[in-house]
Amino acid sequence: MAYLELINISKNFTNVVAVQDFNLKIEKGQLVSFLGPSGCGKTTTLRMIAGFETPDEGTILLDGEDISNIPPNKRGIGMVFQAYALFPNMTIQENVVFGLKMQHKPKTEMALAADKVLDLVRLKNTAKRYPHQLSGGQQQRIALARALAIEPRVLLLDEPLSALDAEVRVALRGEIRRIQSNLGITTVYVTHDQEEALSISDLVVVMNGGLIEQIGTPQEIYRKPNTRFVATFIGTANEFKGIVESENRVKCDEITISTTRVADHSIGSKVVVLVRPENIEVFDQRPSGMLVNIFEGEIETITFHGAITRLGINAGGKIITADVTITGRSALTHHQHVWLSFGSDYCQVMPQV
Amino acid sequence: MKPSQKSKPSPSQLFFVSIFILYMIVPIIATYIFSVATRWDRTILPEGYTLDGYREVMKNASFYITLQHSLILSVGSVLVSLIMVVPTAYWVHTKLPSAKPLLDLLMILPFGIPGVVLALALVQVYNFPPINRSPFLLTAATVVFTMPFMYRSVSNNLEAVDIPTLTEAAQSLGANITNVLMRVIIPSIFPGILSGSLLVFATVFAEFTLARLIVGAGFKTFPMLLVEYTRKDGTIAAGLSVISFTIAWIVSLLILWVSSKGLKTSHDVVRAR
Repeated sequence: MAYLELINISKNFTNVVAVQDFNLKIEKGQLVSFLGPSGCGKTTTLRMIAGFETPDEGTILLDGEDISNIPPNKRGIGMVFQAYALFPNMTIQENVVFGLKMQHKPKTEMALAADKVLDLVRLKNTAKRYPHQLSGGQQQRIALARALAIEPRVLLLDEPLSALDAEVRVALRGEIRRIQSNLGITTVYVTHDQEEALSISDLVVVMNGGLIEQIGTPQEIYRKPNTRFVATFIGTANEFKGIVESENRVKCDEITISTTRVADHSIGSKVVVLVRPENIEVFDQRPSGMLVNIFEGEIETITFHGAITRLGINAGGKIITADVTITGRSALTHHQHVWLSFGSDYCQVMPQV
Repeated sequence: MKPSQKSKPSPSQLFFVSIFILYMIVPIIATYIFSVATRWDRTILPEGYTLDGYREVMKNASFYITLQHSLILSVGSVLVSLIMVVPTAYWVHTKLPSAKPLLDLLMILPFGIPGVVLALALVQVYNFPPINRSPFLLTAATVVFTMPFMYRSVSNNLEAVDIPTLTEAAQSLGANITNVLMRVIIPSIFPGILSGSLLVFATVFAEFTLARLIVGAGFKTFPMLLVEYTRKDGTIAAGLSVISFTIAWIVSLLILWVSSKGLKTSHDVVRAR
């Protein structure tokens, strides 16, 4: 049985549907991300798990127990907020042991626990300082330590890195994952940053407009998006709108694309074919051999991203984005005439909605 | 976060700062000197010094009575103000933000209405025993009169601290509503409560118009005694002013000292966000 289970959860705010028919099972020790644009209901769902919002319908089970009607202070669920929310009037030590103080734990036990969690977030030397004396990244690590000190049944993180600089964000997300898997603590992580969600999660729940679009591992979400929303929200994708011509061909405005996955669309139906930029190969000369989906075009934009270079190629009026590595190939220039190609198994075919 | 590196002030900066400091401090120093001067109208510095003025004050029984009255009035006003304003400000900030503009407007009114008008209006409306011309009515009036000081201080502090999120953080750590209030909210806004109390205390302690018009001789306050002496003996009046200043300073220092024990400094908390 799943450790944390959300069954048919719905929540409305005045005239706005926040979350609809949300069903999710989380196994013990998993890190699950809720990913989606702002207003998609991810934070509302998290707050219902925490107990700060009450679902209009549905049940939340934690370890088999219905917690839907238990107040937040009795749930034993730790939470980390975007705004750190450290108590400004308390030292770091006092902040960290606050939860244990509420449980009337003896002083020696509190001191030990504080040592342990501060060590875990590598900020042992800050115990006597006040929150404002620490940097944003440090404050968030203390907030994490404070939530962990109560040994929560579930750890909830509400966009914990959004307020931080890019560099700190990347370092800290690794830190969060390391601590989470070391402790084996069941964690729900809310973010609007797809890279963050993909890099640290066991399971990603992509949400949009209060509904779940897809639940899957980061690889599944990226490689086999179920919906057009997922495909375009996560990573970049070229979209070709067209009509299914035969079992494995889609006729678009200028071009015809060979695909392998048209089986579930009837001939004549309107579809969109999605291809990731990294799956498009670019050639200086017309390629020979067994390649399919070969198109001609002219390089319009070249953007250097370090490991890859992103090209915007104008193919008969349609701009196609392709990612290439520049090592081992002749230099690319603006207005250069090129050929591009992508394998049919890289094509995701979805209905046009 | 760190203050930018201090550079040497320019002569013009020094000039303006000096003018400001002189403007503020000369009258106070003059009052202190005048209170111990024998005669100071023909020379730049007094002709001689004496503590006779203070001895005279100490001998006067009404000095102690008025001092006591003013202290009771000030402390009473602070307490009533705390009970009325702090919970209101808290609820408005957390649950009723739409009422904020209304309260902001209400808090300007005491500045707009002259004390004389307020006093006469109150005397007219509450013209029945036991509250007519009583210290209770006076306290009610001084609370209204100083409400903006308390509200603004507390409200600014509430603004600077993210109360809803702190509340939720404390709840998720197992705190019930009492613990949230006593251990998190009140300590977080304590600097605001403190400075509000200080402002109310000092203002009420020096308040003359309301006291004179509402209770008159029935409950003589310290400023009333002071005004009385300005007509009789300038030196004694100066002495009373000095005592008044000194009390205000002692109270301020006391409050700052208490606050620095509970918290690091008020500055820290306000800056924490």
